[in-house]
Amino acid sequence: MIISSSEQLPRKTLLKRFPVPKNFAVAPQSRIQRGKTWPAPAGATHIKVFDIYRYDPDSDESPRLDTFSVDLDDCGQMVLDALIWIKNKVDPTLTFRRSCREGVCGSCSMNMDGTNWLACTRFISDLGDPATIYPLASRSIIKDLVPDLDHLYAQYEMIEPWLQSRTPEPDKERLQSLDGREQLDGYYECILCFCCTSACPSHWWNAGRFLGPAALLQAWRWLADSRDEATEKRLDNLEDPFRLYRCHTILNCTRTCPKGLNPGKAIAEIKKMMIERRS
Amino acid sequence: MMKSDTRTPLSRASGLGSAKSGVGHWWAQRISAVALIPLSLWFAASIIAHVGDDYAEVFAWLQSPLSAVLMTLLVAALFYHAALGLQTIVEDYFHSALKFAALVLIQLLSIALAIVGIAAIAKIAFAI
Amino acid sequence: MARGNRLQPRQVTTPPNAFPVSSEGIKRLREMGTTDRKPQISRKTARPVSPNIQIYRPQLTSVLSIINRITGVVLSFGAVVLVVWLVAAASGPGDYSVVRAILTSWIGQLFLFGFTFSFFMHLCGGIRHLIWDTVHGFELRTIYLGGWLAVAASVALTIAAWTAGLLMVG
Repeated sequence: MIISSSEQLPRKTLLKRFPVPKNFAVAPQSRIQRGKTWPAPAGATHIKVFDIYRYDPDSDESPRLDTFSVDLDDCGQMVLDALIWIKNKVDPTLTFRRSCREGVCGSCSMNMDGTNWLACTRFISDLGDPATIYPLASRSIIKDLVPDLDHLYAQYEMIEPWLQSRTPEPDKERLQSLDGREQLDGYYECILCFCCTSACPSHWWNAGRFLGPAALLQAWRWLADSRDEATEKRLDNLEDPFRLYRCHTILNCTRTCPKGLNPGKAIAEIKKMMIERRS
Repeated sequence: MMKSDTRTPLSRASGLGSAKSGVGHWWAQRISAVALIPLSLWFAASIIAHVGDDYAEVFAWLQSPLSAVLMTLLVAALFYHAALGLQTIVEDYFHSALKFAALVLIQLLSIALAIVGIAAIAKIAFAI
Repeated sequence: MARGNRLQPRQVTTPPNAFPVSSEGIKRLREMGTTDRKPQISRKTARPVSPNIQIYRPQLTSVLSIINRITGVVLSFGAVVLVVWLVAAASGPGDYSVVRAILTSWIGQLFLFGFTFSFFMHLCGGIRHLIWDTVHGFELRTIYLGGWLAVAASVALTIAAWTAGLLMVG
């Protein structure tokens, strides 16, 4: 019941989902229908069932939920291994992003059993039976488990994630004390998987204007960097009832970060800086 | 807001630019919250203390200067905090023209109700 | 390379797989100062949006947050009831007894119990928020401990308040 780190999974589940209808307030083209049940592998003893969100942009059909049975003796331990197994052995059209398979690139972020995480660092044994796999919440879907991240990247671009200074470039490196460098710990490690942003209910309702935890964490990373000289401009850009202040400290972001970072804290630091500059 | 599909993602994300305000609202919400902690606890304790009273006793309690002042502060802080909170809720969930109607309604109702409450307290406090 | 003593604009590069652009087009891209990608391709049917609240797991974080909001709305109605009660007290014993009768009826008591629990829940949640505003207590363990403590305290305070109230009356 007491969670100490984001990789800890809850032991008990009181509610699997909020008590709303399955297709609650969903546009007609987003309604999910029952999909195909794919045949189980012959002769397999150790099987796990996966319900996976599918969407084919080349057909006119709605998104659906397909059921796959995976032979656990034939595939690796991680959910990404299961997805690759399905793609190799059952349905080659299953589409998902992946790259490093070790939790550092952020490509395979998706929603598994209701929470966002990286598929390559989530153990299959940690999921329920059937395990449900959805793409990142509240995003436009290109195909199957591949969300359109253009908007999130644009929001990241908006916070100007590069060093800005007027002071002429020094001959060697720009100096930063050890304390100064410590201020970046816990923020620079972000892999931009967007698990946090797509876990934030405030971003669900205001995605267009609220920057979301990922962009704001990076905004804090640049505000906290002692070498950066554009603090005033950065704070002006952030001070907006929507861009920053849609954050109501819900803290789903900190709960779900697969790298153990703390976007909620970063946003609180930004709000504190906002107050400090006018007091 | 998103009328044409040909706007670039950056343009859509930037929208109309930063309002360059928002701290005031956030700070006011916190200040009124801090004020409400002691005021509301005082109110709760008072209600418990006066639960069995008849009209005359309630009137006498409300008439005392301390109660009148604290009650006034409570009503003011309460409606200020409520107005700010409800404004945030409307901004979160409403995105059409209905939003502006709701915001105006909340502001005006809060001011009106606060004044009615304070007027009632004043009537009791200054009654002979 | 940034040189001199003024802020340099970002360098504009056209990605290798972008649509072919003439030198005139590249000049215009540089003037725009951005590396905007292709506009959205128009489609026959809009892309579906992935489910959010329909499938996202309720967690202590999100559940306590929405409870804080719901109790806030309930207390807003409570504020209106407070004003009604004050106006009744100011209007005289007749009006006051009507309001008192409603509040002491079983349905009124039920609402008051709900208001009391909402009040303590919102108070404890609010204190958690104020502590977060000082940038303390953001470790997950503290968030969860604090959350359960807030729930337990609200229940305890509600029971204590009503017990005290009933003792005062009886």
